Amino acid sequence: MLFFSYFKELVGKEVTVELKNDLAIRGTLHSVDQYLNIKLENTRVVDQDKYPHMLSVRNCFIRGSVVRYVLLPQDGVDIDILHDATRREARGG
Amino acid sequence: MAPGLQRFTDIAADGAPRLDAADGEELVRVDRAASVALGRRSPEPPGTLFVTTRRVIWLSEVEKGKGYAVDFLDITLHAVSRDLEAYPSPCLYTQIEAEVGTDEEAGESNPEANDELELSRVSEVRIILGDPAQLEALFDVFCHCAELNPDPNAERHGENGWFNGEDMTDVGWVHGDEDMVDENVPQFFNANPIGQNGGFDLSHSVFELQINDQRFEDAEEEQESHENGD
Repeated sequence: MLFFSYFKELVGKEVTVELKNDLAIRGTLHSVDQYLNIKLENTRVVDQDKYPHMLSVRNCFIRGSVVRYVLLPQDGVDIDILHDATRREARGG
Repeated sequence: MAPGLQRFTDIAADGAPRLDAADGEELVRVDRAASVALGRRSPEPPGTLFVTTRRVIWLSEVEKGKGYAVDFLDITLHAVSRDLEAYPSPCLYTQIEAEVGTDEEAGESNPEANDELELSRVSEVRIILGDPAQLEALFDVFCHCAELNPDPNAERHGENGWFNGEDMTDVGWVHGDEDMVDENVPQFFNANPIGQNGGFDLSHSVFELQINDQRFEDAEEEQESHENGD
């Protein structure tokens, strides 16, 4: 729930989603659902030399189960709040 | 291991695929004059695309009895591609969960070998529609069906439905732990303006942490490769 809530806050921001197959896609976070499936808009592949055929797509759906990392915008992270929230969850869980 | 892309031959007399109705599988969408391109192979001659609540099936019109199917569970990514530099036709680009040790050029190394092993190594499929204007609608159907097919071991992180920031009246808070009282509610959980939080008691905006979340395990396992990758 923490992740879902947190990602909801990032809607509209630029993120980079790294997949378990090493593909990294940058784009505007359009939406996220309960399974952490992610929709990006105005995407581009970070390593375009390696993945030329995915040069740019307008919108992209990524299955939550294949996401390895979501790289956040620096201003999208309030370390203190996140730290506090994770601690609270650990206690509450 | 995920089966990935498979051959499909269970075709009824009327030319439609036989679905697993007993398992609740239903037809969602049909596109005539649709072609598929497996891996780096050239597109197949046009056929018919059947999208069901469980999988995507393509049947050839030229070669009766020939078809492919892939479960939504194995479609890991889909996107509308209109960049003609990336691919000569507008298409729905999909990535497929393929066998370990996938050779990205599996379709190229032996285009005539259509055995199951070759198919299971195909990690990309492009769907080209006769009417490219339908690609967005097809994209949306794929999104919908993907959500109907969560991974068997997936955990849910909230209420049904997508959150895209447009509906701020109900953001699916979990009101789980009544004992948790904390005045210092993190700001970023409070998507509603102060005083307009839908009557929810902010002190109950507590979330369940899944300690056994598999993502944590992945992060540990792949920490090294990630660091190297940077």
